[in-house]
Amino acid sequence: MLSTTFHTGAGYWNPLVWLGVFLLLLVLAYLFWFRGESGYRREGEQTKPFLSGNRAPARGEMHLRASHLYWGFTEAIRGYYERVVPAHTGVLNDYLLWFLGVMSFILVIMVVIR
Amino acid sequence: MSWMEDLLLLGIGGIAVSVYGVVAGLLLLGIDRKLVARMQARIGPPIRQPFVDVQKLFTKQNIVPEHAVAWLFNGAPVVALVSSLVILLYLPIGSIPPVLSGYGDLILIMYLLTIPALALVAGGFSSGSPYATVGAQREMVTMISYELPLAIVFIAIAWRMSADGIGDPFSLVTIMQYPLWGLVGPLGLIGGLILLFILLLVTPAELSRIPFDTPEAETELAGGLLVEYSGKNLAMFYTAQGVKTLVMASILIALFLPWNPSGLLGLGGILAAGIDIAFFLLKLVVVVFASVTLVRAMVARFRITQVVGMYWLFLGLMGIIALILLGIDAIGGA
Repeated sequence: MLSTTFHTGAGYWNPLVWLGVFLLLLVLAYLFWFRGESGYRREGEQTKPFLSGNRAPARGEMHLRASHLYWGFTEAIRGYYERVVPAHTGVLNDYLLWFLGVMSFILVIMVVIR
Repeated sequence: MSWMEDLLLLGIGGIAVSVYGVVAGLLLLGIDRKLVARMQARIGPPIRQPFVDVQKLFTKQNIVPEHAVAWLFNGAPVVALVSSLVILLYLPIGSIPPVLSGYGDLILIMYLLTIPALALVAGGFSSGSPYATVGAQREMVTMISYELPLAIVFIAIAWRMSADGIGDPFSLVTIMQYPLWGLVGPLGLIGGLILLFILLLVTPAELSRIPFDTPEAETELAGGLLVEYSGKNLAMFYTAQGVKTLVMASILIALFLPWNPSGLLGLGGILAAGIDIAFFLLKLVVVVFASVTLVRAMVARFRITQVVGMYWLFLGLMGIIALILLGIDAIGGA
């Protein structure tokens, strides 16, 4: 076995072997892909983005805003976010109080368990 | 054995398993399509249809949309296929240990599973289509949704093994040597069955199949992140889909159904390996039928918010219950 395997105590992995095999298969897959038809008709409608017959907006206007990137996730657990977002006041004193409160809670739990 | 021989063996093994992955993956897609058709009282396509589809797509125009980032648009399908094939090298086939056995464990597999999904996301965003952009966004949300229950399944099994003092609990070879069912009592058995149920439901989401196919959603997003893909690029994504199906089924078999008949029959050598591989292929079909075919024939598509709720709340909670049951089982057995 090559001696570049990382052992974490519970698990292990060898990044060099992963990278080597990945690159080997990447070359083979590229050669496989390269054998296929590469050409296409550039004139006409077929290179325009498909939008069910509607005129597609300009390129810069079709990107998702960062605030929408996780929509679906934030919407599904909206109740959680509605409580947590207002707690982020931006005031350092509030954050320190939260930090001290949570830390004391964890210490109490640890003492009780012990 | 010298490191040169090591490298040569890894290379040959990697290529052989990749050929097996592509062929078996497409075959599984064909069987899935045939079985779904039969359940819907249709004749359905022949089982070899995915091979015909891929062959035909390679001869069709490979259109790159004018708004696309061409290098990323063309590169994503290749990376999706390669990253799916690499995961296969860490998984056992029947009684044959993984090609990369000793070079990576279950935690690594969990991380590697995100690469094909990220390639899909990159391809969707790079295609410059509004439908594909929404599809890519949904794929990301789906991915972060099923990671929690998937992580609970992997960690719960490894933790239960380590509670019995078994070394290398994240190694798939170790997990196959000490099946969970042989370690646990009645409570642990219930916990194990819950974990099996969770993994059966994570599989269709990992594969973007109904009811978790919101990133593609033909009827509302016209194919979503794949809407602009055609020709050989679509063929590569389709082949990657087959390989991922094989990967997910192989993981489930390794964790929950690791038995091989050669030991029971007292066989050895090549005959034992052959019988074990045949039995493994049969298990693959059964697992794909239970986790993909049956589910997509029975259920309609979920909304993206329902997908998140299902994985984070329902399956997340069930996973924690399973973990507690395995914990009580471990304390009771100690």
